[in-house]
Amino acid sequence: MEIVVNISDMKVTNRARDVLVTHALGSCLGLAAYDPVAGVAGLIHCLLPLSRDGKVPAKNPFMYVNTGIPQMIRTMYGRGATREHLVLKAAGCGRMMHISNQFDTGASNIAALKKLLQVNEMRLSAEDVGGTIPRTMRLFADTGRILISSCGRSWEL
Amino acid sequence: MSRREEILQKAMAIPNMPMPVQKVLAYIGNADADLRQLAKIIEFDPGLTVNVLRMANSAFFGGGTKVSTVKEALMRLGLGRLYQLVIASGVAPLARFAIKGYGLRPGELLEHSVAVAVASETLARELGVVAPPYTFTAGLLVNIGKTVMGSFLEVDAAPILTLAHERQISFEQAEELILGINHAELGALLLEKWGIPTPIVNVVRYRLRPDESPEPDLALDLVHVGDVIAKMTGIGMGIDGLQYAPSEAAFARLDVSPQQMENVMVAILEQIAEVRDILMENTL
Repeated sequence: MEIVVNISDMKVTNRARDVLVTHALGSCLGLAAYDPVAGVAGLIHCLLPLSRDGKVPAKNPFMYVNTGIPQMIRTMYGRGATREHLVLKAAGCGRMMHISNQFDTGASNIAALKKLLQVNEMRLSAEDVGGTIPRTMRLFADTGRILISSCGRSWEL
Repeated sequence: MSRREEILQKAMAIPNMPMPVQKVLAYIGNADADLRQLAKIIEFDPGLTVNVLRMANSAFFGGGTKVSTVKEALMRLGLGRLYQLVIASGVAPLARFAIKGYGLRPGELLEHSVAVAVASETLARELGVVAPPYTFTAGLLVNIGKTVMGSFLEVDAAPILTLAHERQISFEQAEELILGINHAELGALLLEKWGIPTPIVNVVRYRLRPDESPEPDLALDLVHVGDVIAKMTGIGMGIDGLQYAPSEAAFARLDVSPQQMENVMVAILEQIAEVRDILMENTL
């Protein structure tokens, strides 16, 4: 079954037949996490890098990279995933042409992710970020395969 | 005939807005317009009546105690808001179609248009400035040219996008090179023909290049930055994606901070659903 992850949303599954998908990644970050041993898959679509004053926003923690991703990964640990086996892949973080750095939310989103991973001594296995293209990201829960589609083309990540 | 002339000729043949909308617009343009008379014209049209009541009772536009008659709704919304709503109700149905040539599923363009409109007004609130009354409507109409290009004229945007990427130019510059006209200008010409007021038409015409506007316009700057914000969130994005250049001058004129921009992104996610539903569910 295809499960849609909206903007500022997160979904985790351990059903092999599920496909997690998020559309319309502009400057937002899409992060897919997969544990091939436990068969647990998670996908999150974060709008912004950091929640203000570092607090977890009660309304929607998945809106932010620094609150949403830890929560998704903890949920996956709860379903049997382990840190050692987790494979992380990122997509999105696009930007308008010539946008000035201070308004480049895409760059801030990927920077926030890298910092979060560095602190936790984890790393990305693959990324398809930046540029001006809109992206759709699919995570197949049976194999952990990631498919990016944009403008009528698709490629594996 | 050049491609530009061919496109203009076909576009100008597109039917006008629905009759009840034209009637109400003509009436509001009348200097002697009175609310009771206007309420009667609106009540004659069930679709428009439902829209007016829902808009007056929505959190975004009105809120407070519930109103149940068109007259009460008019008192609450005022003529300016009503004008916007009527134009929106007339044009929104056009944005509901799938726009294949531009890679948009049914409803996606309307979603993007609502995001631009809501972002422009929310940005004004965030900046503490009063948005000119036509800001919301202009924001809602900025994509009308895409509707015309992608569905009525069946333009395939893929080669345009390829050119834009190859030459590292904006999508609308590539449209001009291939078609002789971009979707902003085409939209403005169509709205002009439909008798939409000039300030709205100008925002649509210059929203991708506010620096080319003959005179400064707060609504134009708000819609330009609102459009940038809406595009970044990815809501209702077509294949043209983020292949556009923001105007640094417009950001500077409004004195937007990155934090304010983020606040608007958060706010539009919360607010677009309500406005979209009103426009989606009740077409004329």
